[in-house]
Amino acid sequence: MADNTDRKKENRTQSARNVRPLVESMYLRAHQARERGQKVAYCMVMSQYDEILAAMDIVPVWTENYGGLCAALGTAQPFLEKAEAEGYSNLICGYARTGLGFDILRAENGEAPQTPDGGMPMPDMLLGSSIGCDTRFKWYQALGHYMDVPIYCIDVIVPPVTRNLYEIKDFYVKYQAEQLRGLVEFLEKTTGCQLDPDRLMSIIHRAEEARHWWWEAQQLCRAIPAPMTARDHFNIFVPHHFMIGEEATLDFYKELYQELKDRVDSGIGVVDNERYRLLFAGGLPPWHSMGIFSYFGSLGAVFPAQLAYPPPDPFIIPDNINDPIELMALRSFERFTYRWEQAHRGCGDFWVQHILELVPEFNIDGLVMHGVMSCRATSMGQIYYQNAVQKYAKLKTLFIGSDIVDIRTYSEAQTKIQIDTFLETVETYKSNK
Amino acid sequence: MTISSRGLERAWELYQDRLPYARMMASQGKKIIGYFCCYTPVELMTALDLVPYRIGGRTDEPVKEADAYLETCVCSYVRSAFDMAICGEYDFLHGLVVPHTCDAMWRILNIWKLHKPLDYTYFIEVPHMVGPSSCHFLEQELKLFKNSLEQLVGRKITDEALRDAIDTHNRARALLQEIYQYRKADPPLISGTEIARVLAAGRGIPVEEFNELLLQVIHDIRTRESESRRKKPRVLIYGGEVDDPAIIELIEECGAAVVMDDLCTGSRSFWEPVNLKENAMESLAAHYVEDIRCPRTFRPGKPEERFLYLLDFARDFNVQGIILYLYRFCDGHALEAPGLKAYLNRKGFPVLHLEEEYTLLTKGQLRTRFQAFIETLG
Repeated sequence: MADNTDRKKENRTQSARNVRPLVESMYLRAHQARERGQKVAYCMVMSQYDEILAAMDIVPVWTENYGGLCAALGTAQPFLEKAEAEGYSNLICGYARTGLGFDILRAENGEAPQTPDGGMPMPDMLLGSSIGCDTRFKWYQALGHYMDVPIYCIDVIVPPVTRNLYEIKDFYVKYQAEQLRGLVEFLEKTTGCQLDPDRLMSIIHRAEEARHWWWEAQQLCRAIPAPMTARDHFNIFVPHHFMIGEEATLDFYKELYQELKDRVDSGIGVVDNERYRLLFAGGLPPWHSMGIFSYFGSLGAVFPAQLAYPPPDPFIIPDNINDPIELMALRSFERFTYRWEQAHRGCGDFWVQHILELVPEFNIDGLVMHGVMSCRATSMGQIYYQNAVQKYAKLKTLFIGSDIVDIRTYSEAQTKIQIDTFLETVETYKSNK
Repeated sequence: MTISSRGLERAWELYQDRLPYARMMASQGKKIIGYFCCYTPVELMTALDLVPYRIGGRTDEPVKEADAYLETCVCSYVRSAFDMAICGEYDFLHGLVVPHTCDAMWRILNIWKLHKPLDYTYFIEVPHMVGPSSCHFLEQELKLFKNSLEQLVGRKITDEALRDAIDTHNRARALLQEIYQYRKADPPLISGTEIARVLAAGRGIPVEEFNELLLQVIHDIRTRESESRRKKPRVLIYGGEVDDPAIIELIEECGAAVVMDDLCTGSRSFWEPVNLKENAMESLAAHYVEDIRCPRTFRPGKPEERFLYLLDFARDFNVQGIILYLYRFCDGHALEAPGLKAYLNRKGFPVLHLEEEYTLLTKGQLRTRFQAFIETLG
């Protein structure tokens, strides 16, 4: 198995090893919060509302994370099967099927199924959003059939690349702020507590500092040899995505930065013989079989960067904005449009633009994309990315196919053969360069 | 091509000849603008004498070339439509407008542009939430879309022209509503197949021409000689871009009367008129945010509230059974279906839930499923 033999050869970071205990503590705290009557909310990552929840002492449970966790620990199958038995298509998001299956079983049995980290505590509310994919609000709408808790969803608007940013900025930011204000109003009504704007502002500052350190740490991965494994990349985003605004999260990224800096300064890489530098450029990781990245490593292939969960692009908090909601809305717009101008002038697509920037910065030799059968949002367009990138950079692309959760869609043997062949072509490409 | 004077026949001919007819219009100097989904504000195109053409696929042919450019985990309606473009069948289009309705729509425009460049393309960001702020946002978006169309044509849309265009489209909506009322009779005075053909014909011609067609169809229905028709189980079909009348025809061949629909290509696209107020752009925005009942829009409320409109359809049209005819990889419908099915069952309606590819190349299995369901309806 790739997981046991290949993994030993990788030099993982201590920071990434610290993530699993953090996740355990995250679920433990959520359960404890539920027991003492603190409000618990089911949430979707990237919804731009994280700091508001922290400022209102609402404990988030990130339902997509739970899908990934179950997949990584090999415990998702009963939930997938339950959701499918209930009539949910086996083609809808693997996270959603896992979460729906879990909650349907809880509704039927009156108690949470026996699962890793005690499962997800029963929420007091469901907070969806439109960022990234439609499942992020449809999932919770579907959950409304199995639990009687309020649902509130917000729009998170990503401007089309073709637009003139100066023309749209005001009304895009205004709409985002209105959506966030609507959420605050809902939360205040549901919890009976008022949002403290000063506290929110201070959490935003702490969160941005954590983002800054993560971004800086990522820049260190430009080094040759690469200082962090692919699996570590797919671990170290966790504190940011699920525990933003906490002191521990800020500390985590400062420590990550220091650890990577020490490695870079000492020339320590993740494999003994780094031969290929790859970019995970499309799709979400196959959480059920992350050992496959160790197989890459065993062949001398490293991933200095990944686009599934990259650090947020830099954002400098303006001095002249005192309203934290307005600031959050502006921040969303600025982050989403960070490379719009370049994309508008060049390739015409923000994702392709990001790839084109990372290729020279991180000395990338090839692209790897994971076509996720249950995820339109991250899988549709991968062939387009490859074709569009070829106009500017001659790079080989490997397409792996499976799912984020459902291991029934995956063949390790076939994938390894694909990887072997792919790396041979990358080798040829490199030698001809 | 020959055009019959009778409405229903003409509709069928127009549907069958929709591609050559569009090419003919293009050759006569008309600018044909392709668009997806019922969230594209076609009124703005009509106001500039552009011809909105609803992009369809082909259920009678497999995807031939698109799979080289588009992932197979994408809904096969979109793949089929894109395949037609790749194969040159949409070469008469001057432009393409895509609203952000679902994840597939979000991505398709750039892919289309890369492989089939067009003179004009536009992407409209449509809110997924309802409410005043969403309406206001879409109004701003539509103003930019309007500007863009005006630049394409080289002239401004006057308020009068816009109001006229809205009125003309509302007229089509009202005429379609009238035709749908004839489905309430038992047996219905117009079959589901015939209505599907009328709707299909309307997706590729100027709205003024469509209104004439609809008046002819209404005349046909009113003046039809009474036939000795037997009563059949009455079904409602629910789903997305079910744009091929052959699907409705297949259900009716299996012994049912399709008396109502909740489809993107059916009632969903016209059931509510634009409530034209003093500010025409505001009225348009409110319509496209609030009035279209596609699952891609999040609507707050319990299932009993969200699906009430469908229950009303079922009761008003005296429906005996409901077919959820969904396309694989359509997440919005797929996540809605189990809850919707349970709700309709609780209300006493038998439900057939199908998840299919956008194809009728393998009709046999589908026919068996339809037949078995319809038999249970008596």
